[in-house]
Amino acid sequence: MVGKRWIVVMLAITSTLVACGSSDEPSDHATELTVFAGSSLTAALTRIGSDFEAANPGTTVTFNFGSSGDLASTIETEGTADVFASASGAYMNEVSDKVGVSGRADFVQNKLVIITPPDNPADIASLEDLAKPGVQVVLAAEGVPVGDYARQSLESAGLTDDILANVVSNEEDDASVVAKITAGEADAAIVYVSDVTSAVAPDVTSVAIPDDVNVIATYPIAVVSTSTHAELAQAFVTYVTGSEGEATLRDFGFLPPPAS
Amino acid sequence: MAASPERKTPLVIAVLAAIGALFVVLPLAALLIRAPWSNLASELSSGGAWTALRFSIVVSLSAAAISLILGAPIAWVLARSAVPARAVLRAVVILPLVLPPVVGGVGLLAALGRSGIVGRWLHTVGVQLTFTIWGAIVATTFVSIPLVILAVEAGLRSLDPRFEQAASAMGASRTYVLRRVTLPLLRPQLAAGLVLAWARALGEFGATITFAGNLAGRTQTLPLAVYQTRQTDPGAAILISLLLVALSLVVLITMRDRIFAR
Repeated sequence: MVGKRWIVVMLAITSTLVACGSSDEPSDHATELTVFAGSSLTAALTRIGSDFEAANPGTTVTFNFGSSGDLASTIETEGTADVFASASGAYMNEVSDKVGVSGRADFVQNKLVIITPPDNPADIASLEDLAKPGVQVVLAAEGVPVGDYARQSLESAGLTDDILANVVSNEEDDASVVAKITAGEADAAIVYVSDVTSAVAPDVTSVAIPDDVNVIATYPIAVVSTSTHAELAQAFVTYVTGSEGEATLRDFGFLPPPAS
Repeated sequence: MAASPERKTPLVIAVLAAIGALFVVLPLAALLIRAPWSNLASELSSGGAWTALRFSIVVSLSAAAISLILGAPIAWVLARSAVPARAVLRAVVILPLVLPPVVGGVGLLAALGRSGIVGRWLHTVGVQLTFTIWGAIVATTFVSIPLVILAVEAGLRSLDPRFEQAASAMGASRTYVLRRVTLPLLRPQLAAGLVLAWARALGEFGATITFAGNLAGRTQTLPLAVYQTRQTDPGAAILISLLLVALSLVVLITMRDRIFAR
């Protein structure tokens, strides 16, 4: 029977892969720290994570990046995170109320910016231009922090109805919004300044939103109280809020935290 | 097919079957248990779910129909024509079945997006697929088409060629044989392919959100509505999920004879 031989081959391949995987582990005493973070933090925290690993041998930092609201509900139901870095204070409050957090600190601020494909096909020069007929605008969905902030900004500029009429897609997180612009699929989007990383910058054109109608987002980070590595988790939070973490975050376009 | 003899089920099979069935049923049961039933009326009357439901039905039926119209001829070529590298060709056209749908979405963007290799030409003549219902249909068809190909090719291979030979021998033209002999004999497999493609299309998420985007009333199907609602209202997301579960179950139960017919 051919079937039997295939099963043997598949098993052999599987076990070889499993064996390879386990021999790659850094050491038997590796501690794995799980960090849930808003997707706007992807590039910056990944860098900080590897710096932290280098400074703390035997530690592995694993990230789960996504929409902060989604992450908050996962933490509430699954409790699998050691550290939570949220793009909005509201979701941190939610986790704080339902699960509990410690060592909470506001660690960065972020603000909104308009991005267009490099050639700016719809000639966007201001927030008002997003309301021009036929402009295809992409936002993050409601409930995603950057999506909510973008709607707040439209509200304060008095452009809500006109611009929402031009929205062609509500994306699941800011990374997906940026991808729609770098792929040239839409004319304009509103994202965080920090989403325009050095990797993204060549593929987009940024158009500033004046501060009076902009939204300054403050990001909190904290140790989740169900963490099984609370001490290490606190060390990570301290690292992120400390001088090294702050320098990296600044490199990635984040603004300094509010003076406390 | 001969009637299957009733036999006593070996214990090991019964135990594994029970564990397997539990594994599949448990999450569905959990949705029923966790659903905030008291919100049902307000949630369903709010309109968002109905818009997505109507949209899902239009998109999935269109995708199933296109899959049938394009997939059945592919199955014919695979089963009957002397194409070179048939095994490779079959693997390629079946690939969407096993690929992560998001990969399909990225591929579709690169091909048919506004600045895709073909899409940029479409765009110059004023055709845009992304962020439109057409984009949702294209994305869903991409993942559904292999099911038609598999069902119809299997049907063609098990077809007794003597019926067609007899018709030809009596002077029937090739199109006449196709229309009056082959297609009627293939009906069960065509129907099975159509239903499976429809069921798959109904559940499509990854390719649709990647290629067509997510906008209520324009590209938002039920699975996308579940995903977006989960951000703000997990309870409502469960209710919409159950709507999708009910719809899929109706499709599979009412069409069971079509799917499992030989």
